[in-house]
Amino acid sequence: MVRELHIMFARPLYLFASVGVMLLSTFFFLTLMQGGTAEQMPIAVVDMDQTSISRRLIHEMQATPSVDICLVTNSYPEAREAMQQGHLYGIFVIREGFYRDLVSLKRPQIDFYVTNSYTVGGNTAYKQMLTMANLVSGAFQREVLRKKGLPDDVIMHRIQPLAIEGHMVANPWGNYSVYLVSTILPGILGLICLMLTIFAIGFELKSRSSHTWLRVAGGNYTVAMIGKLIPYTLIYLILGIGCHVILFRFAGFPVYGSTARLMFGLVLFIFAMEALGITLIGLLPTLRDALSIGALYSMLGFSLSGFTYPQMAMLPPVRALSYMEPLRHYYLIYVNEALMAAPVENSIPNMLALTVFMLASLCVAPRLHRALVYWNYPLK
Amino acid sequence: MTKFQYPIVKAFVTELLRIFRDPGVTVIFIVATLAYPLIYKALYWNEQITNVPVAVVDLSNTPQSREFLHKWNAAPDIRLTHTCTSMAEAEMLLRDQKVHGIIYFPRDFARQLADPLGKAHISLYCDMSSFLYMKAIYLSCNNVMLESMRNIQIDRYEQMGIGQEMAWALVQDAPYTETALFTPTGGYGSFLIPAVLMLILHQTLFFGICMLGGTIREENEEKYTFSSLFGRAGACFTIYYALATILLCALPRLFDIPHIGSFWDIQLLIVPYLLAIIFFSLCVSVFIRNRESGLVILISTSLIFLFMAGISWPKEMIPDAWWYIATCIPYTHGAHAYIHINSMGASLATTSTEYIALWILTGVYCILACGLFCIRKRKLLEETLT
Repeated sequence: MVRELHIMFARPLYLFASVGVMLLSTFFFLTLMQGGTAEQMPIAVVDMDQTSISRRLIHEMQATPSVDICLVTNSYPEAREAMQQGHLYGIFVIREGFYRDLVSLKRPQIDFYVTNSYTVGGNTAYKQMLTMANLVSGAFQREVLRKKGLPDDVIMHRIQPLAIEGHMVANPWGNYSVYLVSTILPGILGLICLMLTIFAIGFELKSRSSHTWLRVAGGNYTVAMIGKLIPYTLIYLILGIGCHVILFRFAGFPVYGSTARLMFGLVLFIFAMEALGITLIGLLPTLRDALSIGALYSMLGFSLSGFTYPQMAMLPPVRALSYMEPLRHYYLIYVNEALMAAPVENSIPNMLALTVFMLASLCVAPRLHRALVYWNYPLK
Repeated sequence: MTKFQYPIVKAFVTELLRIFRDPGVTVIFIVATLAYPLIYKALYWNEQITNVPVAVVDLSNTPQSREFLHKWNAAPDIRLTHTCTSMAEAEMLLRDQKVHGIIYFPRDFARQLADPLGKAHISLYCDMSSFLYMKAIYLSCNNVMLESMRNIQIDRYEQMGIGQEMAWALVQDAPYTETALFTPTGGYGSFLIPAVLMLILHQTLFFGICMLGGTIREENEEKYTFSSLFGRAGACFTIYYALATILLCALPRLFDIPHIGSFWDIQLLIVPYLLAIIFFSLCVSVFIRNRESGLVILISTSLIFLFMAGISWPKEMIPDAWWYIATCIPYTHGAHAYIHINSMGASLATTSTEYIALWILTGVYCILACGLFCIRKRKLLEETLT
């Protein structure tokens, strides 16, 4: 262990890759989505009617806080090109004859166009334009009923006989940052654990220094392995807990269930990722092969964990594969503990699964031990 | 080996040989570049999420609420799997992740609907562990509501003595039309895969060059001459031109994701994109001391580059400071330009801002790489002298 501390401080890589990368990522993801909700995506209004009424309508819409009209034009191709240039996410078209229809009490037609090439921007713009269309249709009904001489409060009930109240469970603000960052940051930490564990062991093989390492540990594989990993594990635990403190204490991310169990889940996840690192270098005792596979494996974890694209939508074989990712289990523990405040029984299967990753690393012990002693694998 | 007349050609050929003799780099350059898109396509196979399980708590229990539920059940996005007698029961199902949403009709639902001045409420509870659940539940709910609302409104207008014809005009069908431009299916894969294809090219090339740089340095082979710089760049460019054509032109057609852009425009986009990445990576590779360490540190840049580019999180919402940094990364411009051309059918002229930015980055990183190579060369010379 002491030897490992020397190695760790002698090579800037270890500290930089763990502490530096983690600090940078935490800072990056927390500052990137400060508000956490995408609002006021730029959209265009194409005014083909060009009358006082359509201009008043645009003016009214511009005053609405949730809408950002960045372009008012009378040419649809111009708006479409602005969309292709990525300047806006939606186009709202007021057709020619809007005023005429309105005065003759024919319901005027509105068209709108959104792009799905940018998901969040397009969805937000869609919601904005839906609001605008409802505004127009409400205003139209209001005008007609006023002409009939009805008082305003009666009119409002006619226009809105039914309302839907949305409740976003455990994330009432619909905060994108809460949902994304609380899985991405542990994911990055897990990635670092995996890569550095592979690197720390693999480098002993590559530089042919594993004999010294084993000798320091008195020739005992278990002692050697534990001694090697203790300093790193301490760093990961401090980083992981620090990261949680920042997220759930300072950034105000919600935890409705047990913080202690969530932390325990994180500790298990860190151990599981380290164990996975041992398994990979044990199976492929060539440093760079193990690193490449490790990189592939852990990068896929972000998609496979199912926090962006739900697991239920994946194909069955892919769904089965997702259980092979420790991040998937950590994510489920997080959902249970932080969002759903579920009883401990719900998290136990995932905690057990993370333990299985640790046990699996024991299976490669004889193979890795042989590799450390006999160097029976190529250098490169 | 035959003697080459020009050192740059020699450097080019040496680099090509080095790439193909180095299994680690070959794996990253060729196997990873081709395998990753397949994996991602398999992952996002179903574009839409359908049949999200939802629980119903119907305290109203009237023909009106049942009619609503009937319409709802026909929507493809959600499936009403559980009927509960109390909210507590439904909350348990949500907590255990058996359902991802709850629809709640209060006791006075039908009474409020019948009252000409009443306002009826329906409550929706959405599982926020993935935003796509919420999207599916809200959208289906909105469609059902608009349809039912029209009938209620007509009833009420008629009660007020407004003639049926007039009432129909007031709540006429299709108060608006909505069209999804360019990608009518609008699925998650159609949106993400183009961005991921560009990221795969960017990151494999970036890692590969850094790994090669580390190897050359480990073996003390680098002489840091201009011919070696351009020879190496040329070798990577040649290999990647072919790979980029497969990824950016052929795969969208094979995968059946949007590909409405011009083939030649994409070809023209590939040139500055690859050159910018290559010189950017060569600049970074100067600081890499051995072949593996680069991978360990740089692997985490993938996610940061993806989010900083403003693809999944809209660029309008990115703080200025991060956006300035993002403009220095070739991926940012490349990904936007590719999405504009490939997914939205823009011409190269339309997306000229990004295209010009890529050429500027190419120029800047090329000069920077030359500068860094000069400094290294001098240091190397000093080392050998002392």
